[in-house]
Amino acid sequence: MELITDYIAFWQDKYDSILTYTYEHLVISFVVILLSIIVTVPLAIYMTKMKNEKIKNLIFNIANVFQTIPTVALLAIMIPLLGIGFIPSITALFLYALLPLLRNTYTGIKSIDPSIVEAAKGMGFSTFGRLFKIELPAALPYVMSGIRVTTVYIISWTTLAALIGGGGLGDLVLAGIGYNDKHMIFTGTILAIVIALILDLIFGKFEKKFSKA
Amino acid sequence: MKKILTGSLLALLLLITTACGNQSSAEGGEIFEYGGQKNTDPKIMGQIVKLLVEDQTIHEVNITEDIPASPQVMGAIDRGEFDFATLYSGEVYNNHFDEDQVTYSTDPEKTLNQAQALFGEKYDMKWYDSIGFSNQYSIAIKRDFAEENNVETMSDLGDYANDLTLGTDNSWIERANDGYEGYQDTYGYSFGDARGMDVALMYEGIASGDLDVVTAYTVDPQIVEYDLKILEDDQKFFPPYDASLVARNEVIDEYPEIAEILDSIVGMITTEEMTELMYEVDIKKRSIEEVAREFLEEKGLL
Repeated sequence: MELITDYIAFWQDKYDSILTYTYEHLVISFVVILLSIIVTVPLAIYMTKMKNEKIKNLIFNIANVFQTIPTVALLAIMIPLLGIGFIPSITALFLYALLPLLRNTYTGIKSIDPSIVEAAKGMGFSTFGRLFKIELPAALPYVMSGIRVTTVYIISWTTLAALIGGGGLGDLVLAGIGYNDKHMIFTGTILAIVIALILDLIFGKFEKKFSKA
Repeated sequence: MKKILTGSLLALLLLITTACGNQSSAEGGEIFEYGGQKNTDPKIMGQIVKLLVEDQTIHEVNITEDIPASPQVMGAIDRGEFDFATLYSGEVYNNHFDEDQVTYSTDPEKTLNQAQALFGEKYDMKWYDSIGFSNQYSIAIKRDFAEENNVETMSDLGDYANDLTLGTDNSWIERANDGYEGYQDTYGYSFGDARGMDVALMYEGIASGDLDVVTAYTVDPQIVEYDLKILEDDQKFFPPYDASLVARNEVIDEYPEIAEILDSIVGMITTEEMTELMYEVDIKKRSIEEVAREFLEEKGLL
């Protein structure tokens, strides 16, 4: 019981800064998710049309390399170029998000039954008509699930923004670790999980809707 | 042929399992565990303890590094996973005890006494007197800025603070007694912007000009590397973080030769000396063991 009253007291004391951290976390995550969808999904679609295997591999490898750079190293490289705070946080997260989104979308579109595409060809659809009327709607569930998985990653990765002055829930967790405050660690973690779950739920609903259509 | 193969495989397996089960040192003594936090000074202290113990006794010391922070080290001591560690007196004010048990003070002796008594009892360990160096928060600015504007103390900085960006670690902004809020109350000014971040990146930030002020720790070698000036804490705001070795009572009661070595480390290293050692490790990228060995040899202890 004391545990609960203590925790309520913690919220009363800190709700102001907790809300700020949550807000920062949401803003960073959303910007990264939007940016990476805008860049990656068209790129992945284009890549499925690409005949040249070498360029395709090159793109995947570049995305792969970003994934392997240790977080703190990537952030340290960024400070002289982009400074501190929001911009470098977004950039780092965007680079990390590239690979999972690219790969998931690419494999999604690739996995469409080729006979559907052939049938569309036979019915006289142009390349673009085929893409927008047939292939994309058929691939949407796959693309959506790629976005869904990546979103959950990004929500949890956004905690790294705290390392470079970008704020977010990571700040709360790291502050708790440094200051021996379990309430802070717990709250930061739980809120990140809740955000991830809610977004996953929303995207899941979208996915269902699209796959029916 | 097949028999030889199976036989040698079996022998290898036996060798591995006996090697895993071996819990004593090469000379038949114990293997003790030292746990070090993420910063470099506890890692150097770990090597010093290891070198002295292995030089003077039959025992060995195994070092585990990069534990996130002191509370996690204490937890491991409590579970008996670590036998020794380096801890800081000011840690006693960090939510470990109720307000009626501990009295906040920035006096080094009162702080150390409370840490020794309270932590000693809570974790059944001995908290030694200070090693001699202190790793506490302070406010640092670029030296040329300080000289241009004649800033010597933290109070002096107040006239410029509005236009300055502060970089600090992730917990300072949230700390109750010695954090940003308390600082604003004591010194009566706040900075234009204050951001929490990774300590290594904080120094990158002041080097690149994105930050103007940082909360440096007094032993950080980056203060030397980037030519920063530590401002005088004229209102005595920051509590002392005097470093001490700690050891589980069980260990020092059973092995007096270990207790003797740990006793001899009290007062061994000043803050300036520790900064120099950390400079060798962090900036010149030399191995911790080499730096620690050189230091002990210079002092004639090895």
